[in-house]
Amino acid sequence: MKIAVILRQVPDVVEELVISEGGRSLAEDEVMHITNEGDEHALEEALILKARHAARVTAVAVGGDEARDSLATATAKGVDEAELVPVPPEHRGDNVRLASVLGPLLKPAGYDLILTGVWAADQLDAGLAGLLAMHLSAPYVGGVVSVSLNPDRTRGTVHKEFSGGRLGVMEISLPAVLGIQSAEQPPRYVPVSRVVQAKRALQVRERAEAAQVVEGIRPAKLVKPTSGAKAEMLPGDAKGVAEQIVRILRERGMA
Amino acid sequence: MIPREVVVVAEHLGGEVTDTTLEMLACAHDLARSVGWRVTCLILTDNPKPFQSLPLNADKVLVVKDAGLGTPNPAAYARVLPHVLKDLSPRLVILGNTSLGIDLAGPLSFTLGAPVVSGCVGVRAEGDRVIVTSRLCGGKLQAQIEPGDGLTIVLLMPGTGHRELGMRDEVPPFEIRSSPAPLESLPVRFLELVEPKMEDLDVRKIPVLVAAGRGIQSKDNLGDLEALAKELGGAVCATRPVVDQGWLPRSRQVGRSGMTVKPRLYLALGVSGAPEHTEGMKGSDLIIAVNRDPEAPIFDIAHYGATVDLLELVPILTEKLREAKGGA
Repeated sequence: MKIAVILRQVPDVVEELVISEGGRSLAEDEVMHITNEGDEHALEEALILKARHAARVTAVAVGGDEARDSLATATAKGVDEAELVPVPPEHRGDNVRLASVLGPLLKPAGYDLILTGVWAADQLDAGLAGLLAMHLSAPYVGGVVSVSLNPDRTRGTVHKEFSGGRLGVMEISLPAVLGIQSAEQPPRYVPVSRVVQAKRALQVRERAEAAQVVEGIRPAKLVKPTSGAKAEMLPGDAKGVAEQIVRILRERGMA
Repeated sequence: MIPREVVVVAEHLGGEVTDTTLEMLACAHDLARSVGWRVTCLILTDNPKPFQSLPLNADKVLVVKDAGLGTPNPAAYARVLPHVLKDLSPRLVILGNTSLGIDLAGPLSFTLGAPVVSGCVGVRAEGDRVIVTSRLCGGKLQAQIEPGDGLTIVLLMPGTGHRELGMRDEVPPFEIRSSPAPLESLPVRFLELVEPKMEDLDVRKIPVLVAAGRGIQSKDNLGDLEALAKELGGAVCATRPVVDQGWLPRSRQVGRSGMTVKPRLYLALGVSGAPEHTEGMKGSDLIIAVNRDPEAPIFDIAHYGATVDLLELVPILTEKLREAKGGA
């Protein structure tokens, strides 16, 4: 049983996002990158399946040097192999391009399952998982919150989220690509000391981009939506804000 | 000259079109009216009957009927849609930025060689150009995209259009076709749709909700939120990341893949306001948001906002409410 997990580096949206002078992308030297949250969940699900089925898990990180850190963390968590596909910053949010790069790299390895987050923070296009499935001629389900495999590992049963808290129960033939919404349990924590240890011993197989890449869409313009357009901001410290909230609720007969 | 066409791919459940479908039709209608295009509402189903007399706001309703289209199985939709769309040759296809739409985006983009723009919060046409506005990075950035002059596919964020404009006062022409592709032996089989289990309480029925976002930092801080919710006669609900951490049960999740709520008061604490969450709560009567980040998108939809430390605010607010009741 072979599983690959794609780990993408995306802007950390908790930090301030600075738009470049050209207005079409983020200012690269101002961006803090983190591993895409959905991909962290995909990694967790892969590790759950590894424990259940003695699977061999390969983490395939996409991005620059910071992607090596995500590989060190993944190794500390228990993946068996680490691969890095260097992708220049200006192309990282382009899933059309990414799928065309990853497809030929992943196909010969004969993975039974390829997992990645169903969504990426910087996504503007069709998303990686579905496009990658097409490149690999593999079936695909996204929005997945649990995966179980039948004993002969030719099929899996997945739970897919629909609106209103509903779950679709679906059976999928393997090999397959799954877009993970969230893992069956929160992504595991590993102490920094173990990540540092893993980093020292890390063996990364660096993969070159395929010669034939297909470019996707790019924004014509990037702006920050006007914030605070509607909310009346309550001034003062915590005590002052609390008093104002009580007054607002009182006026409405709610306090 | 034949007018260009906009195709809305409908979503439905139990014989009823979803609110998102009505919003997509409203957006399509606005855009088409501005440039003289036509709107076709495309419904894939095993039973056309419930849709036959619906006054949907479209120039035409086209139903593709097949026993294999009785469930929202993206694999079945992905097999049928390329054939139908090649035949209709539209300028623009609108799908929901939903569980179904997101799964269809990749296959349709690849098969039809068309760009897909996701997270769409606005789409307009100027002459033959289509201009799409999308949200990314949790709603903190907005992109304007001009995808070119071929077929464009957009995934419209639920909550974007005016649902009430998805219907009109007459029933449009209605056509039924059989599936252009066989739907047996799909690599993905839809076994069942499971309704949510109410593990503890139904947040849709609670008049006051205190929402815990990522900004609450730790499960240990939930106790203070529970005390505040109790003082307000309500309950604590949460954003997806909080539920994914296992701090609260899935039944408390509000947003796209959780519950849609409309309480009298929604007190959003440490909630950034990502579109995936706000589509489940923006219909609340009164929204008060507390977030340290003055640029948090939640302030776009809140009635009142504050940027104080919520962990400091919550106990004080609980106490002040208690005093207001005269119970201190």
